[in-house]
Formats: sequence, C-alpha cells, structure tokens
Amino acid sequence: MTLLTRASPQTLRLLALGLALLATILFFATQIEGYLSPRMFNRISTSAAVVLPIAVGQAIVIMTRNIDLSAGSVLGVVAYMAGQLLSANPDLHPILAVLFCMALGAGLGALNGLLIAWGRVPSIIVTLGTLALFRSFLVEWSDAKTITTASLPQWLVDLPSANAFSVGGLDIRVTVLLALAAVLVTGLALTFYRPARRFYAVGSNPDAALMAGINARRTVLTAFILSGAFAGLSGFLFLAKFGNITVVAGLGYELKAIAAVVVGGVSIMGGSGSMIGVLMGALLVDTIDNSLTRWAVVSEFWRDALLGGLIMAAVTVDTLASRQLTRLRKGGTQ
Amino acid sequence: MMKLTGLAFAAGLATLMGSTSMAEPVTATPGQAVNAVLLPKFLGILPFDQANRGAQEAAKELGSTGTLEFIGPTPENSAAGQIEMLTNATTQKQNVVMLSNNAGDQIAPAAEAAAAAGTKVVTWDSPIPNGAGESFFVAQVDFGSIGTVMADMAYDLAGGAGEVAILSASPDASNQNAWIEAMKQAMTGDKYKDLKLVDVVYGNDQSEESYNKALGLVDKYPDLKVIMAPTTVGIVAAAKAMQDEGLCEKVKVSGLGLPAEMVSYSLNGCAPQFALWSFVDLGYLTYQASYALATGAIKGEVGEEFTAGRMGTFKIEEDPGRQGAKRVLMGPFTIYTKDNVEAAAN
Repeated sequence: MTLLTRASPQTLRLLALGLALLATILFFATQIEGYLSPRMFNRISTSAAVVLPIAVGQAIVIMTRNIDLSAGSVLGVVAYMAGQLLSANPDLHPILAVLFCMALGAGLGALNGLLIAWGRVPSIIVTLGTLALFRSFLVEWSDAKTITTASLPQWLVDLPSANAFSVGGLDIRVTVLLALAAVLVTGLALTFYRPARRFYAVGSNPDAALMAGINARRTVLTAFILSGAFAGLSGFLFLAKFGNITVVAGLGYELKAIAAVVVGGVSIMGGSGSMIGVLMGALLVDTIDNSLTRWAVVSEFWRDALLGGLIMAAVTVDTLASRQLTRLRKGGTQ
Repeated sequence: MMKLTGLAFAAGLATLMGSTSMAEPVTATPGQAVNAVLLPKFLGILPFDQANRGAQEAAKELGSTGTLEFIGPTPENSAAGQIEMLTNATTQKQNVVMLSNNAGDQIAPAAEAAAAAGTKVVTWDSPIPNGAGESFFVAQVDFGSIGTVMADMAYDLAGGAGEVAILSASPDASNQNAWIEAMKQAMTGDKYKDLKLVDVVYGNDQSEESYNKALGLVDKYPDLKVIMAPTTVGIVAAAKAMQDEGLCEKVKVSGLGLPAEMVSYSLNGCAPQFALWSFVDLGYLTYQASYALATGAIKGEVGEEFTAGRMGTFKIEEDPGRQGAKRVLMGPFTIYTKDNVEAAAN
C-alpha cells in the first residue's frame, strides 16, 4: 500500500493501463484459439505501427490544450503524393522518401499552426476546416487515379514483411521499429529536453507560461508542425502496408489517434500525458479491435459498439482508479 | 349483347394499339436543353470517374444544350453530402439528377421532394432501397445473376468444396447487400452443396479495415479457401493481405474488381478470377435514359422501350429485387483472368 501511495498519479495511471492491457490479452487468450502466438503478435504490432506516429503527434497537440482533426486527411494526402513520387522516381533513396513524407506533413501542419496561433481561431474549428480542405484537395489532385502496388518500387512493397530482428520467436518488423523510434525519440525529448517541456507548460496554464517568458504561439505552431510531420510518417507506413492508395486513405485515422491518446491517459484538458501512455493506449485499442474481429461470439454489428464501450470503460476505470489512489495518498500524508 | 362485344372489341383494339405503340422503341430528339447532375457516392475513385466519362460521351452525342455537372461529396461526408447535393439540385431546378445512392433509405425524402418539384431522380450503380422518389434504376447487371457468378467463381476457386467468406463494403450498401443475398440464394443449389459460406464481414470500403478484416477471416477460419469481395476496394486490400502473408496458394481472393488495380494479383495467382462490368457504359446508358426521361420521350413507365445510342435498345421493367420499383437492365459483365486482365487494364 505504501508503494502505491508513494507513486505519482501518472505512474499509477500507467499501471492501471498495463493491467487493463494484460486483462484484455488474458481474456481473449481463453476465447480465441491460438491467440498467444507469434502470428497474432505480428497482426497487432504491424497494425498498431501505422497508428502510433499519428497518435504521438496528436498527443503533443492535445498536451498544448488543442486538437488536430485534420491528421487523417494529412495522412491521406501524404500517402498518395508519396506514392506518386515513388512511382515516378523508383530510385529515390528510402530515407529521402521518409523525409519527403514528414516534410510534406509538416508543411500542412504548419498551415494549421499558423491559423491557430496567429489567426487566434480555435484549433477544433481550423482543423475541422482543413480536415475537409486537405481531403478535397486530394480528390482534385488524384484525378480519380489509384496508386497501385504494381507501380511502387520493390523495396517499399517488401517493407511491411521485412523483419528487423526476432526476440524469443516474436518477429519485430521494420515498420514496427520505425513507429517505436517515433515514440522513443518524442518520449525522451519530452522528458529531458527543456524546450520540449514548453508543450506541457502552455497546455497546463497558458497565462502562467506567458508570464514565465514562453512564446506560446511558437510552441503551439511547433506542436502542429510536429503533428503534421508524424501524420506524414504514418502516411509513409500506410503507403508501405496497404500499397493501393485512393482518396479514402486515412479516413477516420484522426479518431483512432485521439482514442489511443485519450485511453493512454493524456488529459484532453492539456498539460499532462506521456509517450509510454500513448504507446500503451494505441496497443490497447488495437488489441481490442483485432481481437474482436477474431472473436466468434460478437457479430459484426456489435463489434464497433463493444469497442466504443470498452474504450469508455478503460477511461472510466482509469479515472476512478487514479482518483481513488490520489485520495488514498492524501489520506496517507495527513 | 352485341353492343357489349363491340365495346369489348374496341377496348381490346385500343389496348392492342396502346401496347404496340408502347412496344415501339422511342428515340429522344437530340439537341434539347437538359440540365443534368451526375451524383456518385463520392468523388475521387476510378469507377465513378469512368461513369462520368460515359455520361459526358452520351451528352455530347445527344447534343444537349443544357449542362452536365459531375459533382459529389468528399469521401468523409458521403451520405449527408449526397442528401444535401440532391436538395440543392432540386432548388436549382435541375431537370434530372443521376444518383449512385450511398445513403440507404435516408435519401428517399429528398428524392421525393425532388420529384415533386419536377427534378427527376434516376439511380444507377446503387438504387434507393425502397424505390421512393426514384423514376427508375439503371442496373449494371441483374442482381440475381451476379449472385450466381460469384457462387460459380467461388466454386471454381475452391475446387468444388470448402469454406467461403464474404468481405463486403459497408453494412448498409444496398447493392452489395442485394448481391450477397443473391449469392446465398444461388448457393442453395445442389451444385454448391459442398461449399460453405462461413462469414460475412465489412471493410467499409477502406483499405486498412478491409485488409485487417481479411486477415481476421484467415485467422478465424483456418480452412478458408476463398474470400469473395464484391467491392473494388475490398478485393484489392484482401489480395494484398494474402500476398503479404504468403497465403495466396491457400486462400484465393475473388469478387468484383477493377482490372487496372487487379493486374498484379491476377498474374501472381492471388486473385485468379474476378468480374466487373463497364462503368463507362453504365454512365453512358444512364445519361441516355435520363435524357429521354427529362425530354419527355419516355415517362418512366414499365414496358417503355428506348434507344440508347451505341448500346442499342433498352426496356423499363419491374425490378425483381425491389417490390414496386422499376429498373433498366444493362449487363453483361466480364470475367477477368490472367489471360484478359492486362488488355483491360490500360
């Protein structure tokens, strides 16, 4: 008990999340034949890898007490245009291709950031607008053509099944590693790099941040640029994994990302959250989703409702548990 | 008595004359002003663009002095956007709206309001399920025969026996639902008694959802032999998923697909057989029929025949799949294999 009461609320929240993830896995292991297998690990890890970068970007934006609804459209635009670029220049170096995706995403994110920080328009309005705007641009730009796997360079087609290394029979794919790198770099920066702490400062108390000499506008702009860049990285992974890109690419991904972020314990009121939480949130949502698809008990129509219910349950349990523990802790110190 | 016979005879003659004049295919007079709107499910994918190409071709041939607008919602706003655009077209007093419905019966009130205000609604590709407000539906193929074709492709690919699953678009897409019903119906035949339809899942015409659902199917049913995807998005995603997992030898993908998107999967054996009709022809026929309707050459009654340019003569008939609704049947469709897919892709 003393251990529990001494831990910070953030740690307790992660603990609760980890328990929820464990419970989910154990439950489905009793329900689905061959659930605890390397194959299932691959299914979930590669599918979560596409959502992870976009969720990381979304988390940074939400920490600053904003929201980026346009991220899914950014993903679509980037996946499509990168596909076009690679069809036309198959010899382009893979690193340059990834950089192109992130730069294009960052550019679109900068547009959001400028309107929000300097135009003083609420982020929910601006990004709701650019959600439609970027998607409409893609519809015009694509001229109804599909990017097909056949037109992409071979290295990109092979990328999703490429293995980085194996641990105890579990394959860690290159795409998974790329997504984890995004989480790790951002996580380290948020913990140890002073300028990155400004995201928390601006989100938890904008006025105080201003008093402390933090340039709130520039911080918000940076958050949106990063969100765009990470959505661009997700766009690259999306292109690699699905190969066939139409104008519907990435539709609804902003909501998947927000779900992962919120389940991962990033406060929608800004100012708090961690990358390890986002990672666990994305894993939990994806595990539930992928498991329900394979669970014979629920029909197709109840799956979405159940997923929504489980997400709400996860958040409620998490909130109640951390409130209870905070109270316990207060009781302990008195 | 005599009088009565005479009357009956006259009535009979009138009916006969009526029916002969009805049976004569009418040709709409070219060069009239018809303002038309082609409204697909959403903008930006190949099949609807091809339909627009066909409609534009027909409009040019008929020399309509009115406008032909190709407008549609963006993908994230499909159902609500369609209803709004149909309502706008009514306010603008467009003569005819050609609609590929993605909003189920929800669009019926807007279609009825359009019809009442003098804007005709002709559906194509996907009808209004209850038929309210629509003049008639230009059906790409007979929805019943598509069921038989899908059952036959599954039969061939499974080698006559084994488990089959369906990967569809959205749960409320009326065309896909009708085809799935038709396939189930066809599979009650004795020939298919060793084929087992184990599941129907929905990828909502999204590549990632369809991809994940296809993998879910092979995990859930280890003996699965065929994934039948009656949607152009689903079939490509499923084929890619099987290819990525090296499952193409074990699980075959089939359904309805665009040759341009399916070439590589047909050639490498992941999707050896699939079917589709021409969306260019569908757009062409839809415009021809809508022009004839808007100019008053046809009234949209059952039994009327009309000529549709290069495609020949068509007839309005009862829609066997929707009680009280009418259709114009286009057909046929092509089955693509590695032998003809490359030629069709370009």
